[in-house]
Amino acid sequence: MNAIEIHDICKSYGRVRALSGVSLEVKEGEIFGLIGPDGAGKTTLFRILTTLLLADSGSASVAGLDVVKDYAGIRRIIGYMPGRFSLYQDLSVKENLEFFATVFGTTVEENYDVIRDIYSQIEPFRDRRAGALSGGMKQKLALCCALVHKPSVLFLDEPTTGVDAVSRRDFWNMLARIKASGVTVFVSTPYMDEASLCDRVALIMRGGIIDSGTPSKIESEYPYALYAVKGTPMYPLLKYLRTADGVLSCFSFGSVHHLAVDPSAAGVGEARQKILSDIVSAGFRDCDVQEIRPGIEDCFMYLAGRSRQN
Amino acid sequence: MWKYLIEKEFRQFFRDPMLPRIVIVFPLLMMLVFPFAANMEVKDINLVVVDSDRTDISAELIEKCTGSGYFRLKAVCDDPREAQEMMDRNAVDAILTIGQGFSRSVATGEDVPVGIKVNTVNGTKGSISSQYLSDCIMLFMRQFSVSGPSVASAQASVLQSASAPVIDAAPKYYYNAYMDYKVFMVPALMVIAVTMVTGFFPALNIVGEKEAGTIEQMNVSPVSKTAFIVCKMIPYWVITFFMLGMCLLIAWLVFGYVCRGSLWGIVLFTVLHIMVTAGLGLLISSYSENAQQAMFIMMFFVLIFMLMSGVFTPVSSMPAWARAITYANPLRYYADAMRAIFLKGSSVAELWYDAAGLLTIGAAVLFWAVRSYRKTS
Repeated sequence: MNAIEIHDICKSYGRVRALSGVSLEVKEGEIFGLIGPDGAGKTTLFRILTTLLLADSGSASVAGLDVVKDYAGIRRIIGYMPGRFSLYQDLSVKENLEFFATVFGTTVEENYDVIRDIYSQIEPFRDRRAGALSGGMKQKLALCCALVHKPSVLFLDEPTTGVDAVSRRDFWNMLARIKASGVTVFVSTPYMDEASLCDRVALIMRGGIIDSGTPSKIESEYPYALYAVKGTPMYPLLKYLRTADGVLSCFSFGSVHHLAVDPSAAGVGEARQKILSDIVSAGFRDCDVQEIRPGIEDCFMYLAGRSRQN
Repeated sequence: MWKYLIEKEFRQFFRDPMLPRIVIVFPLLMMLVFPFAANMEVKDINLVVVDSDRTDISAELIEKCTGSGYFRLKAVCDDPREAQEMMDRNAVDAILTIGQGFSRSVATGEDVPVGIKVNTVNGTKGSISSQYLSDCIMLFMRQFSVSGPSVASAQASVLQSASAPVIDAAPKYYYNAYMDYKVFMVPALMVIAVTMVTGFFPALNIVGEKEAGTIEQMNVSPVSKTAFIVCKMIPYWVITFFMLGMCLLIAWLVFGYVCRGSLWGIVLFTVLHIMVTAGLGLLISSYSENAQQAMFIMMFFVLIFMLMSGVFTPVSSMPAWARAITYANPLRYYADAMRAIFLKGSSVAELWYDAAGLLTIGAAVLFWAVRSYRKTS
């Protein structure tokens, strides 16, 4: 049985279409990442799955329970951590935890082993009010509160948005441990680099899934040869490359440009040489061209471009 | 679980930097300041007398008026124009004109040539001044008729003709002249205090959870919406009764007013009233997205409720269409019942009409409120 099944879910807010025909399957015990930019429909899908929102059409089930018919059952077995910190800021760390344990009909002691790893990190501050915690600690507390009733499916809506790089890494380590304890984790993120930390991902854009599968499967299906191109000045180089012959796409990725070319046009070594000589002769300095393996972001850009054309 | 939900509400309440203080200060302010401030008794009315009679009897009348304690005699002059000019300058509020032959008319029982002019820029003050003045004159006439038996029959007729036009109004102001206006205001102020607390606090509380996003967490939990709402209400009921107790205590300690009727009657009507206002608060909070919206809508309703409830101005003096609106106003029933129990000692059975009104409105509002609050959108 799949932990989450989504069939052809549609949802509109007035005339704005938030989700158009989303279908997904999340297997039990995996970390499934829903990856897409802001406004892609991630939160809407989360709210439908957590029974906070009714879909216009389509059906979905969590742990075999229908989100409309068995909403009460779902509420007992899921943990939900919304994107915005939403615990009681005027209650202390310990009070928040006890409150959410009680609300789900359990006690902190009963499920202490589930949260021990994470809670031990914030335990020194247990009498501090939640509002006075730092961002990273708030997030840990929220995760504890979502886990305290031992849910079988954990929904995390953009848990790492606005969190520093070190805390993000910490957080993903925690998710791995949660997964190891048998909980299915459904997580959304706008950061493409987090895709590789998931077992499987779905790429979502404008309310539609553009691809899904394991990160390596998605990366392996990237159809073009990809080069990281460096040169000074950067921006004119980007403009130059986009107009160059044989270039399918070119996007800026921090300090380099990712350049896609048709792999069948020329041999690998030749293509690299050709690009290098082209940009050097065009007058760019400090030039370097390396062939690279595509990442999820490259795949997303490619798939997004393709779906926009369709 | 219920116990913990209620405990959490209390914790949040007492941890709030403002709310516990407001609950203490608000009734104190209401009961200790407003009965004096929201006072419609008119005192220190500046009076000028135009005495054309200049006899002992006219002097006695002037003394009677100034001796009542309501008037401050500014001047006694002969020329009516001079008095009028003083009123134009706003130096005086009322002019008492004693015509020539006043003492003779009093003795013979002819029409007494006495005139009253009042400044009614402030309508309430004007009409009350005029009422006080005529009360004083009537009192004077009555005394005179007792003290002068030789003209008793003549006096009686004067008294009758003078009192005839004020039969309706006289008892009202007559009591007011000796009784305290505060007596009427004290139960009304309790009504206002209860309405403010039970109307605003629950509405803002639930909207607060919306703003903080915590309602989202509650909505995905197995807690039923009834449990959630009832547990939110109970602390406010406790707080309201604490406040009501404080008000009753202050009324007794400071003003010496004791509730004439049964306290259970007050409790019953307060419970009914809380049902209405808290239901309204819930209804508003489920439709508003933030505290500002909730605050303004609640303010709108509470103001209308107060102004159209008979707390400040009697319902009977409203035009028919306005009176019709007051039937939908829960405060009308509650204020009426509270005054009746507190001042007259009416029993609940006698006030079935008010209880029925509150129940009807309360049931409608609560039904709507529970229907409008959804955990799923």
